[in-house]
Amino acid sequence: MKMMLDEGSRLKTIINIIVLSAALYGVTTRNVDVREATIFESLLMDTLAPLQRGVSSIHDRVVSAVDHYILNVQASKENIQLKRDVDELRNQLFSMNQITKENERLKKLLRFGENIKRKKILAQIVGWDASSDFRVLRINKGASDGIKLQSTVVTSQGVVGYIYRMTDHFADILTILDPINRVDVLIDRTRSNGILEGFSGWKCLMKYVTRTDPVKLNDMVVTSGLGNIYPKGLKVGLVSKVERESYGITQYIEVEPSVDFSKLEEVVVLVADNDSKKRLEWKALDDSEAD
Amino acid sequence: MRVNTVEILPSLFITILILFLLEVLSTSVLPLFGLVNYMIPFNVLIILFLGFKIESPYLAIMILCVQYAHSIFTIEGWEMGTIAGVLICIVISYLRDLLHFSSNLLTIVTTQLFQFLWFLVTSSLLYLKLGDFGYIIQKFWRFLPESIVLSLLAPFFFSFLDKVWRVRGEGLMAE
Repeated sequence: MKMMLDEGSRLKTIINIIVLSAALYGVTTRNVDVREATIFESLLMDTLAPLQRGVSSIHDRVVSAVDHYILNVQASKENIQLKRDVDELRNQLFSMNQITKENERLKKLLRFGENIKRKKILAQIVGWDASSDFRVLRINKGASDGIKLQSTVVTSQGVVGYIYRMTDHFADILTILDPINRVDVLIDRTRSNGILEGFSGWKCLMKYVTRTDPVKLNDMVVTSGLGNIYPKGLKVGLVSKVERESYGITQYIEVEPSVDFSKLEEVVVLVADNDSKKRLEWKALDDSEAD
Repeated sequence: MRVNTVEILPSLFITILILFLLEVLSTSVLPLFGLVNYMIPFNVLIILFLGFKIESPYLAIMILCVQYAHSIFTIEGWEMGTIAGVLICIVISYLRDLLHFSSNLLTIVTTQLFQFLWFLVTSSLLYLKLGDFGYIIQKFWRFLPESIVLSLLAPFFFSFLDKVWRVRGEGLMAE
């Protein structure tokens, strides 16, 4: 009996060591820029993401039912027919308004960045990341719709982020609110260069801006085009806080993103055509560094 | 509770299905109510349950499976949670005789304490990787409400998982 227990605890120790080693290896070798989903992950994501979309649409329908029908339950008999007619018309009007608004939003989205020579793909948000440590959105478009990894994601208000992981039908966007997403940006007025990182809640930090640069509140922050992900000149946000000490090299700058992430419904994915060429360039650079 | 290897698979499968359901709900329903800054990490609760109540040499593999299922819904990946989960289960195995589940309050307090340990482990790993203490502080302010909600859910959630894993209701974590 004691021998069996010893064997059990030995097996447990061995398994613990193997799993911990694999996990530590995974953590240290993890690529923070982009992540290729495995076939198994793709299968699970493609199976489970429609459920996330389903839950959202059920919520919308329930809210609509509550708004438009349940309130009328107490209406008097004489008015029932009239109210039904009015409700029906209101519903139609509401639907028409929604369609018009959606149409306007989508037109605005498509008009946005007309001069950006990239393929534009419209997508809807279906869920957020399961961990509050990350600011990641899931959209209902994937590789089969022409989306590629590291494609820029925008709205008419500005930059949202880039495609970090994807399957055939769904993709995860690493938003600019996430601390591991770093965007090379410029202050539009002074052309001061810096790196934008997600900070806390809905804010971002602009780092490495020299203390002597005359950055002011409400200065517009735009993408610089460096880094091979975001096209140049996309709106990112406005400077919401500047702290300049009498010492140090850089200044503390907080940026409020121009995109309202709490009300985000649709986004546009900008897919670059020359991806393979860019990949070859990167590969050549990596190879030369390895040599 | 000591579990036979054959009994593990069906219970683990059901547990992962439950995790999928809860993740789908928390990732798509909570944001609809504007709760985007906070997410309920049900994977932590499941791993703590496994650590508290299941005695098996394959516990680390079970933790890995749960974390892998969780990673479908987050870019966090399975690695960090697996390290935290396995280390915490090792700690639990040493404290097994001291820990009891005789009342809801004890369950809540114990779960909260081990969530703090989870936070310490993951924060240390994050600090090693990012070198940014400010981020850990931000993470702590998010961790506090999330962990309190999880601890309050723990008595109900554990009694539900007791049924899935057929754990006898003596309230003790040890056999």
